[in-house]
Amino acid sequence: MVNININGVNLSVEEGTTLLEAAQFLGFPIPTLCHMEGLSPYGACRLCVVEIGEGPKARLVTSCTSRVEEGLRIRTASSRVMKARKMILELLLASCPQSKVIQDLASKFEVRRQRFRQEHEDCILCGLCVRMCEEQMMAKAIGFRGRGEKRSIGTPFDIRSEQCRLCGGCMYVCPACQLRCTYTEPDKAICGGCANIYPPCVEKEQFDDMMCYMDPCVACEIIKKIEIK
Amino acid sequence: MRRLNTIDDFIELRRRILSEKEIQYDHPTLVICAGTGGQASGSNDIIRIIKRYILEHGLQEKIGFRITGCQGFCEMDPFILVQPGRQLYPQLKMEDVPRVIEAALGGYVEEELIYKDPKEQKKFFTQNDIPFFQKQTRTILGNNEKIDPIRILDYIENGGYAALQQVFQKLEPNWIISEVLKSGLRGRGGAGFPTGKKWELAGAVGKKGEPKYVVCNADEGDPGAYMDRSLLEGNPHAIIEGMLIAGIAIGATQGYIYVRSEYPLAIKHSLIAIRQAQDLGLLGNNIFGSGIDFNIDIVRGAGAFVCGEETALIKSVEGFMGEPRQRPPYPIEKGIGGHPTCINNVETLANIPVIIERGADEYAKVGVPGNTGTKIFSLVGKIKNTGLVEVPLGIKISDVVYDIGGGSVGEAKIKAIQTGGPSGGCIPASMFDLPIDYDSLSKAGSIMGSGGLIVMDENTCMVDVAKYFMNFLKDESCGKCFTCRKGTQRMWEILDDITAGRGTLEQLDLLEELAHVVKDTTMCGLGQSASNPVLSTLRYFREEYIEHIVNKRCPAGVCKDLVGAPCQTTCPLGTEAWRYVAHIARGEYEEAYRVIRDANPFPSVCARVCNHPCEEKCRAGTSGGQPVAIRALKRFITDRIDPSIYKPIRNVIANDNSARIAIVGAGPAGLTCAHYLSLNGYKATIFDSEKKPGGMMFTAIPGYRLPREVIEKEIESLIDDNITIKSNHILGKDITIDGLFQDGYKAVFLALGAHKSKRLEIEGEDVEGVYPSIQFLHSFNVSGRKLGKGMVGVIGGGNSAVDAARVALRQEDVANVTVFYRRSRSEMPAFEEEIEAAIQEGVNLETLITPLRVLATHGRLTGLECQRNRLGEPDASGRRRPVPIPGSEFIVPLDTLVVAISEGSDIDSIAVASSMKIDTDSRNSTVKVNPNTLCTNRSGVFAGGDLVTGPNTIVDAIAAGKRAAVMIDRYIRGVELKQPPKITLPMVFVQPAEVPEDMEQSSRIEVPRAMVQWRRRGFAEVEMSLTINEATREACRCLRCDLDFTRPKEQERKQVEIRG
Repeated sequence: MVNININGVNLSVEEGTTLLEAAQFLGFPIPTLCHMEGLSPYGACRLCVVEIGEGPKARLVTSCTSRVEEGLRIRTASSRVMKARKMILELLLASCPQSKVIQDLASKFEVRRQRFRQEHEDCILCGLCVRMCEEQMMAKAIGFRGRGEKRSIGTPFDIRSEQCRLCGGCMYVCPACQLRCTYTEPDKAICGGCANIYPPCVEKEQFDDMMCYMDPCVACEIIKKIEIK
Repeated sequence: MRRLNTIDDFIELRRRILSEKEIQYDHPTLVICAGTGGQASGSNDIIRIIKRYILEHGLQEKIGFRITGCQGFCEMDPFILVQPGRQLYPQLKMEDVPRVIEAALGGYVEEELIYKDPKEQKKFFTQNDIPFFQKQTRTILGNNEKIDPIRILDYIENGGYAALQQVFQKLEPNWIISEVLKSGLRGRGGAGFPTGKKWELAGAVGKKGEPKYVVCNADEGDPGAYMDRSLLEGNPHAIIEGMLIAGIAIGATQGYIYVRSEYPLAIKHSLIAIRQAQDLGLLGNNIFGSGIDFNIDIVRGAGAFVCGEETALIKSVEGFMGEPRQRPPYPIEKGIGGHPTCINNVETLANIPVIIERGADEYAKVGVPGNTGTKIFSLVGKIKNTGLVEVPLGIKISDVVYDIGGGSVGEAKIKAIQTGGPSGGCIPASMFDLPIDYDSLSKAGSIMGSGGLIVMDENTCMVDVAKYFMNFLKDESCGKCFTCRKGTQRMWEILDDITAGRGTLEQLDLLEELAHVVKDTTMCGLGQSASNPVLSTLRYFREEYIEHIVNKRCPAGVCKDLVGAPCQTTCPLGTEAWRYVAHIARGEYEEAYRVIRDANPFPSVCARVCNHPCEEKCRAGTSGGQPVAIRALKRFITDRIDPSIYKPIRNVIANDNSARIAIVGAGPAGLTCAHYLSLNGYKATIFDSEKKPGGMMFTAIPGYRLPREVIEKEIESLIDDNITIKSNHILGKDITIDGLFQDGYKAVFLALGAHKSKRLEIEGEDVEGVYPSIQFLHSFNVSGRKLGKGMVGVIGGGNSAVDAARVALRQEDVANVTVFYRRSRSEMPAFEEEIEAAIQEGVNLETLITPLRVLATHGRLTGLECQRNRLGEPDASGRRRPVPIPGSEFIVPLDTLVVAISEGSDIDSIAVASSMKIDTDSRNSTVKVNPNTLCTNRSGVFAGGDLVTGPNTIVDAIAAGKRAAVMIDRYIRGVELKQPPKITLPMVFVQPAEVPEDMEQSSRIEVPRAMVQWRRRGFAEVEMSLTINEATREACRCLRCDLDFTRPKEQERKQVEIRG
């Protein structure tokens, strides 16, 4: 057992426990976007940062990927943590304003303004879908490609993967794009959001920018038109 | 070669090689640097010529020839170093090579080709004496010149593998680790973790039989850094030896060199070296029968910057995407394939053989405690001696920049240095006293990094630098952490806005806030240091950011969208220099005159005496060449065109009430103001204390630079019915401000100028024969009195000192003239061409001299006691401070002494101004105004020119007059005075002239001067006009920055049509 202290509360947990698990055990809320039970921790969204260490050595670490150490003192909501979280949410909001998950989080943390140039991206590259595909669906159909600005998720060379079983797990876990492809049966939709896209998914001829990996789409059964000359 | 089975075989081999060496070296050897840098500069051609020459002349037995890796002096590539004399022949052309070979054979020095100081042309006969090498300690880099990298015997001959021999003789891993620990060596990759500590940890972890790895990190991705490449290219065996020792120390059996594919030569040389070592039995299984296995493989990276981070590197070696992961666990515990892995930088490993061979204590003597040993830096940017330098840690930045680097490459001063590549920060020139070590640099907000030093001068925009690095980082971030990926993109976006003039002060705060969050919340070293370029430039150069945002101005003249054409933006008058230069190139001289006259009411005066800031910022000059001779071209036009072709536009309808304005001072500022007011229909009256209008143009500038009739003609052309000049009116005596208002003047513009020299403040200054330069020049220019007698001395280094010296030289009673200046000639603020002309005419220049005391008998000057100086450390301005040499005092006999150290405004006029309730700055003796509106504290009273700025240039005075005219007009009309800053971009398209082929790449024209023997006799103008051919040639050199912003009419129309 390892003794730690979270926000002033002493706690003894098993070795190998992550800081996130320990904090959640005590009921301290830590927001996450790229964490999901059953998937390996990845540390992409940085929302779950907590402050550890003292004085000049104090620093922020992602609680999902850091493990407990003997005598560690953790602060889950210090001013430094909150400042960072708010900025991260502002950045997320600027890039992906249509995601309900992000909107909710922003509202919860009282992020009331967004000072960056507005973008409308479909993906925050949290990697949940990649891990879902690999670790739960044992498919490894999709993965990360490129780096920096050009990083994206997809199949190698954009060729439909033979490993993909169209399970839809990737969409199920996506915090940014779960609105996709439920148009034909809005009542069964996770959020029904895709009906709000204009033009709606079904009327759109080019699906390339819709970021749907499945072909045909599981939900709406529309077959992507492949232009053959 | 036979494989060596025991350590004794190896010792025997080394002994044999070393003993043969002595016999071999009785003939000269040519050494040529052929690293990637050398090859790019053409060393392959030189190599070919040398080989052919040797074969054709049958010299194989008489001369040696060695092709080596990079030797560091990249600026001088391709060069040949002749051993054993160590003469260095730099920047060789192919046709010069035979002369070098003959000189080497004959045992003499080819003086014409030998290395010379670029400025003073002093010859250096051996490499060691060259300042670039003198202050270096080339422990590691120094071997490159001795070794042909593809010959293992060369390496052994120069002491290579001696450390390995010691290791095998002892075979005690703990001894190796303790030696490395004791040496204090810190990782050269950038973070500076103690190498011995790392090895100790690596040695202790791991189960028995579990594989361990040593990795050499040669993923060098910083822009402008290339020391790792040069080591791998030039001395790969040193790296192999270091890795082998590391492997033995920690018990590893496999090594990897992780090198990027962009380094083909490094890969080639490493592969050859590994094979040679394997053949000799230095690598492989059971080395020397000791039971130790160690092998090295090369892994080629695809060139991702992030793969230099150790966890990403491991992923990449394993074959995955290079993406860092959270530490702990550290690679020492879980590295490649989950096994312990010790990752060291190339340079760290190159240091290992040195430590083992010389002993840790000896090694630790170099450098400073806590930061021992030497470090290789790649010195690049705006610096004279680009190249690789190896210096002991703890050396001052100024030593590296000014002594080794030779200072800035052009006229512009060095402003900052960027260390540590894209993750590093900028350190301003004022902090160049800082020692270069891991801790000092990180305290200053930068990092050591792998050792890139990018020197920046005043023509480098710090916002642009931050933007450049952010652009690099946003592409090179792996993208895993959201804050690093998006944060770098957003920071770049804001920086881009600022450089394009769209930025706001709120965005600047956001930028800073974001930078701190990115630093805080990212996982790996790349993200945590990604904000450094922004944070450090904000810390030291915030005013540059503000200047971009508030005044929409890029002081360095870099940011295109703000600067447009730098010549136009830099000109205080906004003259479209690019435009008239383009017209000259096309032969449209009248058009050119109109462009000049449109902006400047004194074109002929400025064509002669302007300090031409346009030329200093000219992109033809700041991009490494010589600026276009803009002033000479202006002179060409003004000499050729009749001014009457220009008809100014009169705007009389707007102001038919024709208010009366009083202007005090008929210098360039006052006359300009009157002219522009008159164009707007106002009646201006100019009051001046002198007999003739012209101000300092008349009283201070000598006739040989600016002929009297030129000033008279120019002033005459400006005076019209709206302007009255009242001479011999002195403010405070004949007129007062209150009186002027009472007389019905609606506004007053004070442009009295600065007419007082500063005093020397030394003993005995107030004797007969000592004159302030202003008085000296004034009495000659105005009343023709010749104050110079016998031996004349002038103290000072500015333009007025040179003017005074040249005027004195032209007076009959003067025997000789000497200028005394306290720094050296290159620090003199006077125009270089003026100094040169003065020396041509026979003025003596004595530099590095400080006056101590004026000697006099019976109240009459007899001489000057002086002290000699030497140049010390550079001050904040980057100029070296003069340091007095004790005991060097000497006496110069003099009959006349002119003091020209600095000018202040006339104390009397300041006193008068303040007596009339005008706020003054008593310390600088200037009048206080709002710089934007030129308003003084009294309503309706404006001031400008030297009275406000202190002694300044003519062009600035004209600009002040122009601005005052605009402001007075606004004041009279009751419009808000403030003028928001606006960006001036080129608007008019001028078809580029066709450049004849023979004119391409010609160099800057030398302005023709009258013959020296004619000049000394009189005051005829010294500088001559250009011929048509010369002017056209010079105008064709213009890079036409304006074409980025303008396009021909047809194209514009087409665009409109497309849009429509």
